[in-house]
Amino acid sequence: MREPMREPAVAPTAIDDDRARRFEASLSRAGLGLVPRLGERVSDALLARLLRVLAERHPRAFEALREMQDACVLIEPVDAPVALMMRVGPELSLHARPRGAVGTGAAAADAVIRGPYARLLDLLEGRIDGDALFFRRELTISGDTALILALRNTLDGEDEMDLMADAASIAGPLARALPVLRRNAGPVLDRVEAARRLLPPPLRRGIERIGARIEARLTGTVPGTNPGAGA
Amino acid sequence: MTASLTLGPVLFNWPVDRWRDFYARIADEAPVDTVIVGEIVCFKRAPFFAEAMGEVVERLTAAGKTVWLASPILVGSERERSAMRDLVSADAGIVEANDMGALALLAGRPHAVGPTINVYNEATLAWMAERGAVAVSLPAELPAATVAALAKAGRELGVAVEVQAWGRAPLAISARCYHARAHGLHKDGCQFVCGNDPDGLPVTTMDGQPFLTVNGTQTMSHGCLCLTAELPALVGMGVSRFRLSPQAMDMVRVAEAFRAVLDGRRDGAEVAAELGGLIDAPLVNGFYHDTAGALRVA
Amino acid sequence: MDNFELICPAGTPAALRAAVDAGADAVYLGFRDETNARNFPGLNFTRQDVADAVDYAHARKVEVYVAINTYPQAGNLGPWQKAVDDAARLKVDAVILADPGLLAYAAKRHPDLRLHLSVQASAANVEAIRLYRDAFGVRRVVLPRVLTVPEIAKLNAEVDVETEVFVFGGLCPMAEGRCSLSSYATGLSPNKQGVCSPATHVRYEQRGGALASTLGGFTINVFGEGEQAGYPTLCKGRFVAGGAPAYLFEEPTSLNAMDLLPELKAAGVHALKIEGRQRGKAYIGAVVRAYREALDSFAAGRPVPHIDLQAMVEGGTQTTGAYTRAWR
Repeated sequence: MREPMREPAVAPTAIDDDRARRFEASLSRAGLGLVPRLGERVSDALLARLLRVLAERHPRAFEALREMQDACVLIEPVDAPVALMMRVGPELSLHARPRGAVGTGAAAADAVIRGPYARLLDLLEGRIDGDALFFRRELTISGDTALILALRNTLDGEDEMDLMADAASIAGPLARALPVLRRNAGPVLDRVEAARRLLPPPLRRGIERIGARIEARLTGTVPGTNPGAGA
Repeated sequence: MTASLTLGPVLFNWPVDRWRDFYARIADEAPVDTVIVGEIVCFKRAPFFAEAMGEVVERLTAAGKTVWLASPILVGSERERSAMRDLVSADAGIVEANDMGALALLAGRPHAVGPTINVYNEATLAWMAERGAVAVSLPAELPAATVAALAKAGRELGVAVEVQAWGRAPLAISARCYHARAHGLHKDGCQFVCGNDPDGLPVTTMDGQPFLTVNGTQTMSHGCLCLTAELPALVGMGVSRFRLSPQAMDMVRVAEAFRAVLDGRRDGAEVAAELGGLIDAPLVNGFYHDTAGALRVA
Repeated sequence: MDNFELICPAGTPAALRAAVDAGADAVYLGFRDETNARNFPGLNFTRQDVADAVDYAHARKVEVYVAINTYPQAGNLGPWQKAVDDAARLKVDAVILADPGLLAYAAKRHPDLRLHLSVQASAANVEAIRLYRDAFGVRRVVLPRVLTVPEIAKLNAEVDVETEVFVFGGLCPMAEGRCSLSSYATGLSPNKQGVCSPATHVRYEQRGGALASTLGGFTINVFGEGEQAGYPTLCKGRFVAGGAPAYLFEEPTSLNAMDLLPELKAAGVHALKIEGRQRGKAYIGAVVRAYREALDSFAAGRPVPHIDLQAMVEGGTQTTGAYTRAWR
């Protein structure tokens, strides 16, 4: 078995339990997985709203992103069903699309950054050194290297971002649920994992469906309905 | 005023007999005005040439050449320092400084500034002129617009501005010897392997593309700088000296060709075609055209 | 015993706060343009950022240095001179310069501004250092990474100026400020544009399981499956010079001189510098914290703890570089 990667001692400000972090990563990844089922119009509206919140909270970075030349970066988590296409420049926008969908793949992007979802989240939030990740080949990049560097440097220029908290603030129920989740994530994760391991495969799928429903309710994104993104 | 030709110092580690013969032929046949002499790349090589130095300088001077001695590029160790001090104090004539330490020692007397000292703008040029610089050879990476601004400033300050017009471009200097390293040796026990490569050690990419040239502690371009086609424009800017950097080839023919272009007797492009056939490297001029130095811009 | 001053990099305001909070004595940074040698996309400080940085650092008794260490362009000195003027106006503690013309300008226009000589000036001997001190009143010299510790000791014994040396981070095997390798491959150079092996000219391509990196169309390296990768800095590439492909100039390795603190102190070094204005704040926080701990232990006469910075280094290897003679 491989040794776990040693991380620099960077203390996340809002989360003190590593398991909470992992739980959040898997939760948000699942949330991201629901996005395409909302339909493009709804998911785009939701992400537009998220961008507006981020822009309010991180004005320096977002001004810098708007000052960049018009270009598209595909952020592709290799372990999630959805990739994010970020357009930087005056037309700053964020779109989620199923991975491999026509018109949103690598061909449509000026640059692509690929890696495990949790690592990409760490990178976007500035918790981890992108160069070190790249040296270890956990991340791969292709296309316009300068564009990726500019995006990385711009986001890294913010004090640690808390994308979960930012995202939660636009989805009412999660805003209240997040602090509780963070406190309880360790035990919850243990219980879910234990349950999953103990169950026979058909039931395992069942618990995963239940999990997805819980997650959907938490994020306020019931499939096929407008979650009240207000856009 | 017509532009003059300078023969830069031999940068490679040639056997001393070859070195002596090279300068004898330059003295007798090459239409160059100034010859700069000295081992400037590696302190360890210098003793080999010391014995022939006096003879070479005498021969060149007797042939009517202006001879300047050059100081080493990198001076860090105690022995390198004392060699630099000796050079500056022993030679009453013009010394070409290739390091800021030598420049410091030459203050207040006429001297030249070599291409490995960073002169990138008119403010630095003025500061050097004030301290006694009479000629400045510009770094190879400067583009035309910068050369033009410096040539203009040089005319106002009374400093002759020089541009390298032939030969591999010096790109970097290190305390580490890459020739030794390529042979699995340490600098202290280098066995003078650089002597095996009179035109430097070719460096290619992993795809087999020729790229650089290693010359001991110095790294040079693979492409050979050639500015024959640009000479008229350079003269128009006020550049008054052109440096030919020796390669293991017929440098007399190179000097004759450049002289012919400067005198308006031959066309620069035609001369480039001829000279290109004499060296196993592409001719490049990208630096001058403000792009990658490895490129050739028509 | 006086402790070394710890001089730390910042490419962004967040990185500056990370460095200050982790125990820097001074933070060096650059304006957001070609006047500094880390002119990378998305990096560096606006004038307002510098004002804020000075406020933040000074409130915590930490100094701010501004690097204006590229060579001003002939016929266009304005941006460099303005950078010096603005640094003085913003009350930074020192400017780090390399170009004699710009040093002359700064010394004349701002006699009270503290001048440091950038590593990009590559002043490697006593004569050169005295020249910068006498001509411009330079107070500190950042030494080029070509000298051994005994050479540094000799130099400090002979010249009365503070010296600062690099102890951690990316390692130039070439004399700094005297290298046109990047320029040869891309047209852009550290001296002119403040970039080395610029990202604009870098491409990565998958070749089966291998990862190839190119710069200006030249293949700089090909990493086999599972092999640690590196950014295609030209001098850290793998090339062929008469044998098998090899790291001809330097392995993709990082300088780490933490084990040399006693020798550097005995050599009379005043300040230790961490490289990496282009690295993220996670790197800066971790490295600065480690060095703070090491310096405090050393100053207190305790053994220097072994602090693992392996996760931070390029290529996953560390070297003491030119400080030990074997490197040559």
